[in-house]
Amino acid sequence: MDRHFDEELQNVKRKLVEMAALVEESITKSLDALKKKNPAMAEQIREIDHRIDKLEISIEDMCVELIARHQPVGSDLRFLIGTIKMNNDLERMGDHSVNIADCLKYVVEGPQMTQITNIWSMARIVKEMLKDSVESFIQNDAARAQKVCERDSVVDEMRNETIRILLTFMLEEPEKIGSAIQYLLVAKNLERIADLSTNICEDVIYIAQARVIKHHAEQKKS
Amino acid sequence: MIITTANLNLYYHKFQALKNVNMDIRRNLITGIIGPSGCGKSTLLRVFNRMNELIEGVRITGSVLIDNEDIYSPLHDLILLRKRVGMVFQRPNAFPLSIFDNVAYGPRVWNISDKKTLTEIVERSLIAVDLFDNLKDRLQAPALSLSAEKQQRLCIARLLAVEPEILLMDEPCSALDPIATGKIEELMLELKKMYTIIIVTHNMQQAARIADEVGFMLLGELVEFDTAKTVFTNPRDKRTFDYISGRFG
Repeated sequence: MDRHFDEELQNVKRKLVEMAALVEESITKSLDALKKKNPAMAEQIREIDHRIDKLEISIEDMCVELIARHQPVGSDLRFLIGTIKMNNDLERMGDHSVNIADCLKYVVEGPQMTQITNIWSMARIVKEMLKDSVESFIQNDAARAQKVCERDSVVDEMRNETIRILLTFMLEEPEKIGSAIQYLLVAKNLERIADLSTNICEDVIYIAQARVIKHHAEQKKS
Repeated sequence: MIITTANLNLYYHKFQALKNVNMDIRRNLITGIIGPSGCGKSTLLRVFNRMNELIEGVRITGSVLIDNEDIYSPLHDLILLRKRVGMVFQRPNAFPLSIFDNVAYGPRVWNISDKKTLTEIVERSLIAVDLFDNLKDRLQAPALSLSAEKQQRLCIARLLAVEPEILLMDEPCSALDPIATGKIEELMLELKKMYTIIIVTHNMQQAARIADEVGFMLLGELVEFDTAKTVFTNPRDKRTFDYISGRFG
């Protein structure tokens, strides 16, 4: 028979997964809106963000209460500490999604640019990283989480490549600098989402194996 | 290491209360021993000052070294051992004597009778447990008139008066309220600078708060022995996790 505390931990996990699903939906919609140049979707993305913000407060509140009342130890403690951090990271991702949606207005109304295909390749990898990070949390799968972390450098390289392409555009067609800057911001926000997915995976590894891999802590220790 | 046990087994007649316990207790740390009732933690504590020998039918195999000396060697001085290794019990056991005479009791056993020396020892011991300022004007008052927490402090002062190296504490706060418990815990953290402390406790949070190293015992076996940080954040053995997280015990 599960203890009441175990049920409470499962409730927290369910809420976090619900929040992650909203973040995924928000990012998919903001990128879709950008691709289709559909500013009408920006309002929907803001509405999702309000729900994400509410969940963030609710999850944090649940974790604080469980820590105060049950004084958890071992993997229970690591789960709650990790969840508090993931909760924060997911909420930031929601904000980055709103930032991408905010670029829409200028992209639609400003001078039109040729499609920056690099952005969409980057977006595909970032969405996969987020999906895999959430899956690794659901399955408590440290090996899968580790693989997500390894993809972060690919996204960093793609962002640098995107910056180079956009700089060339700006030099060649200075009248489109405004639109190019919006795409630069999109690339920056995507790169941050990838970083935050990596943070989530670092927390999954901490929860599953009590290993701290962020900032190359293990290599520095040895 | 101040204490090392190797292949330690203890039997009460046919019942085996300790099973092959191997542990190294480090100097000037607080070592917490946790585990469910009847797991052998108090028995283990009493091994370190040979108090189990007072119980009929006890048989011990293996070795227990304190400062590399086998305390179960027939040549070992038992009186000296009890001086080096003092013990605090669950309930404060102040003697029905004055506060002064309680603290001076041990030194008198050791033939110290000079009034000035005894006064110095009593003062030093009461200062160490933070009782002196409070009691200095009524050292002749009966010890049993003190609160439970102050009696427990007095018992600790009584130990310190004979200058031990190791303090064994068997659930020293179980008869105290949370505020008194907090004060005794603060005292333990002060005392570990001078002494090695081994505490048996049922209170998991107490072990988490004050112990540097923690041993988890189950059915006479030392299941896990590690730093408190490891035991409470990443226990290696599932039985330890199940116990400290309240899943059994």
